[in-house]
Amino acid sequence: MKKFLLSILTAVLFLSACSSGDDNEEQVTGKDAFDRKGMLINIADNIVMPAYHNFASDMAVLKTTTADFVASANVNTLLNLRSAWSEAYITWQTVSMYEIGKAEELSYRNFMNVYPTNTTGIEANISAGSYDLTTVSQQDEQGFAALDYLINGLSDTNTGTIEFYVDSSDGAKYKKYLTDLVERMDILTTTVVADWTNGYRDTFVANNGSSATSSLDKLVNDFIFHYEKHLRAGKIGIPAGVFTTETFDNKVEAFYKGDLSKTLFNANLSAMQDLFNGKHYASTTTGASFSSYLDFLNTIKNGEDLSQIINDQFDLSRSKASSLNEDFSDQVKTNNTPMLETFDELQKNVVFLKVDMLQAFSVRVDFVDADGD
Amino acid sequence: MKINRIFNVICVSGVLALSSCSNDDDATPMNQIEEPATYVFERNGESTVSFSGQTTRIAMSEELVSAFKNTTLTEEQLDAMFAHIEGANDFSEASLNASDKSVRSKTAASRDYFSANTTEATAIKAEFDGWIKGQVAEVFPNWNTTATAGAAGVLQEAGGGSNRYVNAKGLELNQIFAKSLIGALMTDQALNNYLGTAVLDEADNITNNNDEVVVEGKSYTTMEHKWDEAYGYVYGASDTPATPNANIIGEGKAGDDNFLSKYLSRVESDSDFTGIATEIYNAFKLGRAAIVAKEYTVRDQQADIIREKLSEVIAIRAVYYLQQGKNLLTNPTVDYAAVFHDLSEGYGFIYSLQFTRNPETNAPYFTRSEVQGLLTQMAGGTDGLWTVTPEVLETISVAIAARFNFTVQEAGS
Repeated sequence: MKKFLLSILTAVLFLSACSSGDDNEEQVTGKDAFDRKGMLINIADNIVMPAYHNFASDMAVLKTTTADFVASANVNTLLNLRSAWSEAYITWQTVSMYEIGKAEELSYRNFMNVYPTNTTGIEANISAGSYDLTTVSQQDEQGFAALDYLINGLSDTNTGTIEFYVDSSDGAKYKKYLTDLVERMDILTTTVVADWTNGYRDTFVANNGSSATSSLDKLVNDFIFHYEKHLRAGKIGIPAGVFTTETFDNKVEAFYKGDLSKTLFNANLSAMQDLFNGKHYASTTTGASFSSYLDFLNTIKNGEDLSQIINDQFDLSRSKASSLNEDFSDQVKTNNTPMLETFDELQKNVVFLKVDMLQAFSVRVDFVDADGD
Repeated sequence: MKINRIFNVICVSGVLALSSCSNDDDATPMNQIEEPATYVFERNGESTVSFSGQTTRIAMSEELVSAFKNTTLTEEQLDAMFAHIEGANDFSEASLNASDKSVRSKTAASRDYFSANTTEATAIKAEFDGWIKGQVAEVFPNWNTTATAGAAGVLQEAGGGSNRYVNAKGLELNQIFAKSLIGALMTDQALNNYLGTAVLDEADNITNNNDEVVVEGKSYTTMEHKWDEAYGYVYGASDTPATPNANIIGEGKAGDDNFLSKYLSRVESDSDFTGIATEIYNAFKLGRAAIVAKEYTVRDQQADIIREKLSEVIAIRAVYYLQQGKNLLTNPTVDYAAVFHDLSEGYGFIYSLQFTRNPETNAPYFTRSEVQGLLTQMAGGTDGLWTVTPEVLETISVAIAARFNFTVQEAGS
């Protein structure tokens, strides 16, 4: 794709170089009268920042409930902690696609939500009592999935779980690790949110051009990358075995909690669709968006509005996923077919978004599939 | 000859006339080259194609490269896999143990490049031995230690990715060994041994081929067999060796081994180079058909195409990995495991450049000392890859691409 667009660009440049001074092509393909800045303002002020602020407050609750549990590990504090973890995990689905600005710099997503988590590595860290959570190699020993293991995965029972934390020899180590993980997630989040609040919002909005490093180019690429890799593949395709010869019921999100994976998937799917439509966070109001930009460009595919086609496909994916078990792990084990069917619906939108929408926006894909070996 | 087989009949005079733009009333009588649709050649209803020795060496190479990650093995055991002796229990596969073939004996061992250059051949073999030694002596003992600048160990890729085991300079020796072997074994043997006239036309080969005198007990002439052996270093691991591109060309296809076939497939899948796999295959096929037709000029023209294109595959992959490493290095949060993995693959492909063959000069596109210069630029510092800069990687990429018919950007994406 990248190369295809490049060759078009080259051809255009070549043509214009050979012609006699009629340089209008670039105007036509590169820029248009759409108010990109207005769209960026809507996205920043009404979607991204409210979502981040909500997530930051969920993280604060998670931090408090963790401190309460560490101070007194009992069934009550454990259930509070689990509930705060679930809430934060669901809200995380509304911010995870914004790997831009400080989040990109910190590699925020990879430190917050890599799954499956590495339980052997976690136990080694706990046992050693010293670890450097800032290193890339430790990404699968921290974040939401590591917390999932620590509060849902150590035992089948509440009392069994609590015993790990009150154990006379190792309890303190488990408490320390749990606290360190939550502390790190909180610091990362605070840093990202503070950056948006203290200047990055203006930088983001002002970068309203059409170069490869413009906010729109980067945001659209982030959006599609997240859709393809983290929504389509991570939550559905990989556990369903789409890319392999076997299924992986242990590679679902929130594996130890079990019945949360579908909720997380739906939260993310809706957040992606809402961003596409410029829907204000936790509101029904909409503003300038990818969708309205497509309408402005009057992008027609097979006689239909592309924005409508994309929205219909989001709805079809949601509808197909509605039959899935709350626990995707169970779904994969008992009947994988609906998982594959959900993947197929999600995949259809990859084409509409990555090919048709990007062509309409004249945006190039800035990521490639990894080499894989 | 089967009736339903499709033959591509090419009149050689026509080919020559076209390529030289000369008048087309060349009256020299020419043999017709009957080029089959696939790499199938028969004599009296019996296949004349044979390259089992190449298939064996590719399989041995696969096991050896895998063994670089088996920390229970000793240096002696890895050395024995590299320099296998008939009957020794070096491999998991019995047929490999029974074989009299060895990887090491054909490493840097081509007629054209090394028969009168045993000094360099010995030095190259010693480098391969050194990578084995380094893996066992330096990397194995630190298998569970986190690697740092100046200390061997393990690093995990971002996002819970693969573990990469590196030496004190950040070099992944298994990758370097594997990718260097693509040059020193497969490419050197194919381009500089079996496709060279020194081997193809040796002794009575031309006379025997002209008279269709076959090797005793075999269905093929010596010249036919030599050409097939070159073919085997590229396609020898294929389950369908007459049509190997079935696993090389197309989405999701990854070749049949972890050596030339795989990386030819990778290059083919880059839209800037799509078609290269067909060009190489067709040249092998037409060249072999030319041998059957006793048209040695056509044969050598095909050898030149294969030399140029396979050399290009190596150079493209070298630049590709350097560019990948460069891009990763410029990320704000550097994923060193991924950087070192890409650059170690790149290191091996750069090393392999000394075995390439420029058909215009009959020399490698980069000499051994030039290759050493590039590798020193990249990894020669005290801490090796830990301190390489994106600028240096770009400089090396530009230097490599400059000698080939592609750009850094084409190879790097």
